[in-house]
Parts: sequence; C-alpha cells; structure tokens
Amino acid sequence: MPKIELKSTTKYILKEINLTIEDREILALVGPNGSGKTTILNIIAGLIDYKGEVFFDSRKMDHVPPHKRRVGYLFQDLALFPHLTVASNIAYGLKMQHYPEETISLRVNELMDALHIQRLKSRYPQSLSGGEKQRVAIARAIAPFQKILLLDEPTSSLDAQTAKYFRRELQALLKGMEITAVLVMHDLLGAEEIADRIAILHKGTIEQVSEPEDILFYPKTEMVSEFIGMPNILHCDTCHVLSSGLIEITSGNMKIVLPYEGKVIKKIAISPHDIYISDTKPPGPALNRYMATITEIIPLRSVVRIRVDVDGNKLLTEVSKETFDEMNLSLGQKVFIIIKLRRLRYAE
Amino acid sequence: MTFKRLSISMSFVVFIMYGGFILSLFYFYNGRLFLEIFQSERTLFSIRLSLFTATVATLISVFFAIPSAYALSRFRFPGRQMVDTILELPMIISPVALGAVVLIFFNTPFGMFIQGKGIQFVFTIYGIFLAQFITTVGIATRLIKAAMDEIPVRYEEVARTLGASPSKAFFTVTLPLCKRGIIASSILTWAKALGEFGATITIAGSMAMKTETIPIAIFMRLASADIEGTVVLVLILVGIGLGILYGVRFLTGRSMPM
Repeated sequence: MPKIELKSTTKYILKEINLTIEDREILALVGPNGSGKTTILNIIAGLIDYKGEVFFDSRKMDHVPPHKRRVGYLFQDLALFPHLTVASNIAYGLKMQHYPEETISLRVNELMDALHIQRLKSRYPQSLSGGEKQRVAIARAIAPFQKILLLDEPTSSLDAQTAKYFRRELQALLKGMEITAVLVMHDLLGAEEIADRIAILHKGTIEQVSEPEDILFYPKTEMVSEFIGMPNILHCDTCHVLSSGLIEITSGNMKIVLPYEGKVIKKIAISPHDIYISDTKPPGPALNRYMATITEIIPLRSVVRIRVDVDGNKLLTEVSKETFDEMNLSLGQKVFIIIKLRRLRYAE
Repeated sequence: MTFKRLSISMSFVVFIMYGGFILSLFYFYNGRLFLEIFQSERTLFSIRLSLFTATVATLISVFFAIPSAYALSRFRFPGRQMVDTILELPMIISPVALGAVVLIFFNTPFGMFIQGKGIQFVFTIYGIFLAQFITTVGIATRLIKAAMDEIPVRYEEVARTLGASPSKAFFTVTLPLCKRGIIASSILTWAKALGEFGATITIAGSMAMKTETIPIAIFMRLASADIEGTVVLVLILVGIGLGILYGVRFLTGRSMPM
C-alpha cells in the first residue's frame, strides 16, 4: 500500500504542490470551490498531464498511464456504467485486470456483502437511489485490489444524516482494507470525522496539512483560521467531573459545563457563530451563560463580528447584520452570551 | 396564431406536401403492371444490386466512420478542423460533381495505374461501392460523432482507473453505450446509399443487368417516358425507405439523430 508523494506539481490553478500522503493514511483535501482539490486527485490518477513529479513508494509514476497505476477513483458524479448491472459494474475492473472468474465472483460477493448491496446485484444503475449508487461506485472502485483510493466528495449525493452514518462506515471500510486514501471534501466537519490528516487548499496552494485537531487549534495562516470559522480557543485550567455525564472546566474566570466523555479536556474550540449574543437576559437556565462587555465591532459584508470580554477571557462572536441592527449594539455595552454545547470541539 | 400553432401547422404543410407527391403516384398506378415490372428479371436484379451495394458501402463507411467519429469527438489534434471540413464535402457538393471528381481521378496516371493493376472501378459494381461510400462516409461520421458526443468522457476515465487500456475502454464502455446511435446511423447511411444516384451513374454508368441500381432504373424509365414503369420503381424505393425510417424509430425510440 503505497506512500504518495507529489513534488513541485503544477497544473491549472495548482502551484508547485509538495505533498506526502503516508502509507495507509486517509488524507482529506478541504478548501473552497476552485482551489484545486479535484485536480490533485486527477494528477494522482494520471488522468491529466502536469508539471512536476508524482511518486508511489518512491517509484516515479509520471509516465505511467492511468490503467497501470492501480488507483481506484470514486468520481463525484459516480459514473456507474449504465449498460451494466450492479454486479457487472463491480466486476468490471477485475475483468480488465484478467483475474480468474472464481476470484471475480468471490470478490464481487465479498464487496456486495461488506457494502450491504447484495440485493441490488442484478439491478441497473438507473433504478438505484443516490445512496445505493454511492455504495456500488465505492465497491467498483476498490474491487480490483487497488492500492490507492481517491474519493471526490464521497458523500455529496447523500442527505446530512445518511452522510454522517456513511462517513463512519466508509472510514471503517478504508481502515479495514489498509488502503491509502485521498478524499476531497468541502465540509471540514465531515473531513474531521473520517481523515487522519487534513490538507487545506486555497487558490492552488496548500495552506496547512495537519491532524484535524491541529487545524482547529493551531491554524497556521489567516486563511485557514478564516476557513475553519476563526474558532475561540480556550485553555482549560481545571476539570471537575459532575454527575449526570457532565464535566465542568475552568478557563481563566469562566466556568463551562460540557458533556463528559471520560477524558481530561485540555482545550476547547468554540466557533464564533456558536456563541449567542443578546442585549437582554435570555430565558432558561444559566448554564454556560455569561455577562460580557463589547470591546470591538467588526462589520463584514453579511455578518458582524463582535469581540467581547468575559471576566478577562477574550471571545469572538458573530451575528447576522440584521440581528446586529435590531439589537443596536455599541462598544462598551454589557451583553449576555450563551455558548452552544453541541458544537464544541475538544483537544484531549 | 400562437407560435405553437404556427410551428405545428408548418410541420403539417411539409407532411401534406410529401404525402401529396406520393399519393400523386397512384394516379398512374397500374396494379397489373406493378406485378409485371416488379417480377421482371431486370427489376429484381436492380433491387438485389441496390440492396447488396448499399449494404457493402454502409459496412465500409461505418468501418471508417466509427474510429473517425471517435477521434473527432474525443481528441484535439493538428488538422482536426481540416478533417472535419472535408467530411462535410459530400453534403455541400453535388453527388454528380463528386462522381466527376472520382472519374477524373481515374484518368490521371495514378488513377489509371489503380484501374490497371488493382481494381477496375469505372463502369463496374466496384464503382457503385465507391460512389456510395464517398457520398455516405461523411454523413455516417457526422451521425456517429453525434451519438458519441452524448456519451460522457467520464465513463472512459472510470474504465481507465479500473485497469482498462484506452482501446479496451472504447470497446467495453463507449461502443456499447452508443450502440443504438451507431445502429440508427448505419440504417440512415444505408438508406442514403440505397438512394444514391448522381455519383453512381457518373462512375459506374447505367448498364442494365450490370450497374443499374433502382435510382438509375427510375432515371432510365423516366428518360424513355415510361411513367407507369417509373411509378412502380418509385413505389418500391419509397416502400423500402419508409420501412427503414420506421426501423430507425423502433430502434431508437425517438426521432432520427440528424
């Protein structure tokens, strides 16, 4: 299962990309539209010409045609062959690589079982749902014992709930196969769930390649910080486990109650739009509700970012322009803030 | 009158025009004569010759048209524009002129060498093959290219990543996916070859029981003022033509890809 190296690779918007994807690693390429994510996949698959070098396990691949690279590719539009049944779609690559009939039959059945699509065996792609097509396309991409798997937006055709479930299943599948995988995802949260490392791309350059946690807690550039939503990072001074599955942490003079997952929490990242701001005292329990003072107002195109001071802790919040105008907030004003529990992310 | 009504009316005007012309044939129709001419050796020879030459010419045209159409549909290469334009030649030049071009070619030293040492085209059945081929290969390529353009390149890319070489990707994915388009294009090419007259008579002549195809037989009967005989042959040609058009619609389930 190879290690993939891109050295000074240039094509279209991509500028001198240097990237190493370790053996059996799952790397997610994340970035805005047009940042060059899919171009990297196409370069690895050998589907387009490029400048620079690509190595699989130190073997130069630049002149190796796509059909000899042993790279499975799940395209965003899936492109299941409409003239073949589900089983024939999955068997296609095995046939092209001249595996014996017995191996083909065993492998197709094994994958259909693993991806729960055995009942679709004789159906044609036109009659499948989006999720079913996704599963068939994955089975087809990995069927011929590929060493590398490229996945372009693997959950794009699924609804949010199905996508979440499917990501977990996909991660287990990839880890089980011990395959090197590169995914393109537009959703950072989705990438965090599935990838070992995340590469953030912007305008054809890699801004940062790190573990998901590091992207969140140590963004290296302004762009990355902006892309991940400029989270507030709070360092936890003390942790105190409460009953009912909660833990209370202190950061400076703030006390925050969080769900307890059995581990000590060192840091928390809170996205600015996960902090509610109100000029009147909100109803309900006082859990994670604080008094704060506005220290800075930064108007942007459609939102307004507001810096507040909570007992010495500086936090960044974000509200829509309409909400800001309704509340008529001003510098030095006392406000209430509430931190949403469900969107907190921890470093343990 | 709304635009919708206007467009529907226009289509009916065209239909009535063609229908009127065809119905007018029955003014001179003679049932007894129909059977007599239809069963005559000369007519049966013309029918057999037309069907045979159109089939051979279509097979040769499609053999060249499939790879040419694929190249024009998928690749950007030097001279592509030139090839594309040349393929339109049979559509913009009269078949008689095209036939004359070929006939003149066979009067050049190289042409005479081919005639002498290779195949004798002028005034033979091979001339009919050649005439029908040169007038249909461009159209066949156009029609097949249209069918291939409809198949996304993505399918071939998928096949390539699964281990298929470019030729295997073509034969296992692209070709099966545009099979219906190719069949429909072949049938239309065949129909065009069957009705070919100008280039055929110029190259192969109009020798009865040798190079007389149905369109040439129609011309010969008309030239000798045999209206009733002409009607019989036209009706035979129309019958075959309509049969083919319905065949295309049956195969494609829609209008022809022209």
